[in-house]
Amino acid sequence: MSTLKDWKIHVAALIIVIICELIGTTKIQVGPGVLLFLPMLYAMVLGGILSWPRLKLINVKQMNAASAILGLSTLMLVTKLGLIIGPSLAKLGSSGLALSLQELGHFLGTVILGLPLAIFLGLGRESIGATFSIDREPNIAIIAEKYGMDSPEGRGVMSVYICGTLFGAVWLGLLAGYLAALKIFHPYALAMGAGVGSGSMMAAASGAITAVFPEQANEILMYAGASNLLTTIIGIYFCLFVSLPVTEYLYKILSPIIGKTKTSGGVAK
Amino acid sequence: MKLVETALVLLIMGIMTIAGNTIGYHLPITEAIIGYLIMLAITLLGIVLAKIIPLKLPMVFWISLIALLSTAPFSPFAKIITEYTNQVNFLALTTPILAYAGLSIGKDLAIFKKMSWRIVVVALVVYTGTFVCATAIAEVMLRFEGVI
Repeated sequence: MSTLKDWKIHVAALIIVIICELIGTTKIQVGPGVLLFLPMLYAMVLGGILSWPRLKLINVKQMNAASAILGLSTLMLVTKLGLIIGPSLAKLGSSGLALSLQELGHFLGTVILGLPLAIFLGLGRESIGATFSIDREPNIAIIAEKYGMDSPEGRGVMSVYICGTLFGAVWLGLLAGYLAALKIFHPYALAMGAGVGSGSMMAAASGAITAVFPEQANEILMYAGASNLLTTIIGIYFCLFVSLPVTEYLYKILSPIIGKTKTSGGVAK
Repeated sequence: MKLVETALVLLIMGIMTIAGNTIGYHLPITEAIIGYLIMLAITLLGIVLAKIIPLKLPMVFWISLIALLSTAPFSPFAKIITEYTNQVNFLALTTPILAYAGLSIGKDLAIFKKMSWRIVVVALVVYTGTFVCATAIAEVMLRFEGVI
């Protein structure tokens, strides 16, 4: 019952939720698009401020409890999305090809842009762990098994994991909202893109898209949910058998061309 | 985590969800509570199934399966389940989740402070790449299939 004894963390969360929902959604025009600030983004920032170590309001034990609750609470999102998908199974089937092929974008999209940049910045073999996937818990397990956590690849995966925990949801929420407001992509395509395979990031991205296109909210959540489910379930196998070998191979080709002479380190200051 | 503890944690999250659901989205409170309890039952059922069925499939798979079967057109309960669970807004569910995410941040800050700016840039590009590449392929394929 360790997650329940710390009532402080739940009271803090409740107060944060009430404040954030009272503020509501705010839109700020930036260039041709809109930056969308949803209550969930304030919630993350307010929570982050309260857990700032220097304030000493929340101890490490309570933070670990919050982290355990986070993992559990995303299951409620999975249920909600499943309930939305149910009535539209036939509709989903008619876009089956799009749904399956866009998964390639999820799995290889991390490498295509990330790997050349990481090598260019001099990250060395850290680049492989950092960019072969979106680096959530199942992906860390793959790297841990293959290279060990005390390897450059292990440091790469852990660093991106931590960045993801800290800014993944906020970043994707803002990015998805901005792209949606630009109206370059259809909301259904954006919804599929939002199914990146992490509960909180998918929630932030798809939530932002529904806020731009409220009339199509149900369809957006249906596509995002289905895509996220595919990414999560297939992801682990795809990462192990395709993404990681491909990233390794590309690293060998690219690092002599764009890499700096120093080929290790780079993750730490 | 024990099942009772899981249920209690999700009930506490329910209080926050319903609070946000009422304040932020003005949805009827009684219907939303029933809707949340239905979702809670499905989630717990999925967790139990993942534990007792000896196939190596993640919890997310079982929970999704039960949820989508319960509202699929052939389900006898589809109408009533959809009616109540529709009263729980998706965004209202996400606010407490990210509040907990925020409250757990402090434990990672010490490691983060030792990290170089370069890895932060790489991480943001990794997340951008996965989202934008999938969106672009989906856009092309949805047009090809005539859905949009």
